[in-house]
Amino acid sequence: MKNLYQKKIKKRTIILTFFLALWLCVLISRLIQLQVINYPRFRKEVIEQNQNKKIINPKRGTIYDRSGTILAQSLPVQSVFCSPLDDEPMDIQLEKINKLRQILHLSNKHAQTIKKRIEKNDHFIWIKRKIDLATAEKAKNLHLNGVQFIEENKRFYPQQKLAAHIIGRVNIDDEGQSGIEYKYNSTLQGKKGQGIVLRDAKRRGYMFQTLKEPQPGIDLVLTIDETIQYIAEEELQKAIHRTKASWGTVVISQPFSGEILAMANYPTFSHDSPRLDRNGAIHHTYAPGSTFKIITASAAIESGRVNFKDQYDCSMGFISIAGQKIRDHKKYGTLSFPEVIIHSSNVGTIQVGQQVGEENLYKTITGFGFGQKTEIDLPAEEKGIFRSIKDWTKISAASLSIGYEISVTAIQMLQAVNVIANKGVITRPKIVKKILDPSIGAKKIPLQFKRVISEETATRLTSIFREVTKTGTGKEAQVKGYDVAGKTGTAQKLDPSTGHYSSRAHTASFAGFVPADKPVISMIIVIDEPQGQYYGGQVAAPVFREIAVQVLRYLHIPPQKILSEHIITAKYWRQDKK
Amino acid sequence: MVRKKFSKAQIIISIFCTIILTFFLIFYIWHQAKSIRLGYETRKLEEEILSLKKEIEKLEVKKSSLLSLERVEKIAREELKLKSPEKEQIIRDDFDQ
Repeated sequence: MKNLYQKKIKKRTIILTFFLALWLCVLISRLIQLQVINYPRFRKEVIEQNQNKKIINPKRGTIYDRSGTILAQSLPVQSVFCSPLDDEPMDIQLEKINKLRQILHLSNKHAQTIKKRIEKNDHFIWIKRKIDLATAEKAKNLHLNGVQFIEENKRFYPQQKLAAHIIGRVNIDDEGQSGIEYKYNSTLQGKKGQGIVLRDAKRRGYMFQTLKEPQPGIDLVLTIDETIQYIAEEELQKAIHRTKASWGTVVISQPFSGEILAMANYPTFSHDSPRLDRNGAIHHTYAPGSTFKIITASAAIESGRVNFKDQYDCSMGFISIAGQKIRDHKKYGTLSFPEVIIHSSNVGTIQVGQQVGEENLYKTITGFGFGQKTEIDLPAEEKGIFRSIKDWTKISAASLSIGYEISVTAIQMLQAVNVIANKGVITRPKIVKKILDPSIGAKKIPLQFKRVISEETATRLTSIFREVTKTGTGKEAQVKGYDVAGKTGTAQKLDPSTGHYSSRAHTASFAGFVPADKPVISMIIVIDEPQGQYYGGQVAAPVFREIAVQVLRYLHIPPQKILSEHIITAKYWRQDKK
Repeated sequence: MVRKKFSKAQIIISIFCTIILTFFLIFYIWHQAKSIRLGYETRKLEEEILSLKKEIEKLEVKKSSLLSLERVEKIAREELKLKSPEKEQIIRDDFDQ
């Protein structure tokens, strides 16, 4: 009996063990199927379902002016996105968008686009990017499932339109589109990081994890001075309104270093306008007219072919070159070489040009950097038009002597003026003073110098250009107490419909520096198509004066001459202070 | 079966060891708890520092915006009714000649 019972137990145990072993085998097989055979497929599905990789944009570098004023800075803001839940009915999802629409001020078109994407079952949809924190807080208080918030950076320009053409703009992804923002995009942008949105089984995002920290962008210090830029913009705006001109630019630099202190354009634009991409000072080309006589005069003295005592017959008031008459605006009689430049006689300058010869003229024009980019650290610089000597016609040398058959940018012309101010040395204009890289400390941009004309030539030219503002065409540029050296320019514009120079459309300009013997600032003013008065001496020279007076005062440059009238000196007070 | 009798000294040593062990155990748990709490506080303070840094940046931009020359001139001219000085009203203190 006992044996029978034991046998029965043993049999049952064997059967149970067998089934348990079978069940274990099935389990193991299933595990192998899940964990080994189908592993890659399931892993991919799981990652797709519960993770969403996201690029984290780094904080963009700040842009300062030379005195440390913030010109552009990125600040954290919130962006809203939604990850629709799979099992949520469509009408509830759309209802969420309607609720957000009022708070986030979404346009009809924008709301429709979002709804279409929800209907398409998109898993990541931006609702609105870069909203202020208060608005984000209101949206958060709605506690909508699937609606999430992420921190991003937004570019702010606290000086508003000031220096807008220089600084440029960025797009919604913080990528530079124009100006310094574009040129130094890789420096300012930093390195992107990566994050991951973790989701639960219902595909609700429950955590945002940073996988790779973003590296913030590097700060830049510009050569621009906020105050000088403001003065230039204000005075340019007044001049454009006064003369009813279509466009104008003012560029102010430190002649020795080539550092640009101000670069103003009018009309100007706000930082979100694509029209900002065109910085007229480096992009707009024009025939320089008489300001180009600076180059002819340089070639004349440097080549040694012209003497200060040489006389030129300008009594006819015109000169015929290859069958074309080129005129002066009045008959001057006989003029010496300096007088030709001081009174800006076309007839006299053409004769000077003929004396200089084509080769010398070409060499000097090229040496001053025309026909080439100045390599200023701004994008979209134009190199202008200057034909090779082999393409010159019989009239080319004459036209070039007086600033025609060539088109230049304002920055090229300023670079040429700086050669005279620097006693014959050319400097590359620059707009970025320092790159504040924390890994290597502040990196200064090195200056680049090259001698173009001798010091003696430059000194002699300065004496002529000083006389231009004393007795010549540039009297309106005189600044009381200071010696100004400069040259006026009035050029007829080419009429595209006729192919001839227009008698009604002009470009007025003035380029010069002050104080003449020890220049602190150099400046160019270009006014396009002024109405009424159109001579450079009437339209552009007064702008030079108005700006120079304020800038010299701001820079604490004392007058060179004692001014008995109007200005009260307070030297005694200064001594007391010492 | 006779139960083994412990001496008084053995009992005292055992109690002492138990107390010491318990003390170390409690100290260890307290230390761990304290470390975690400090970790939370550090994290909280770090977040606060970050938030304050962001606030400083925001205020710097605001300050820069409030001091923008365009705004200052507008307030000076329109609200305070100031105007640019005439040439004879300018006194220079840097005139060395």
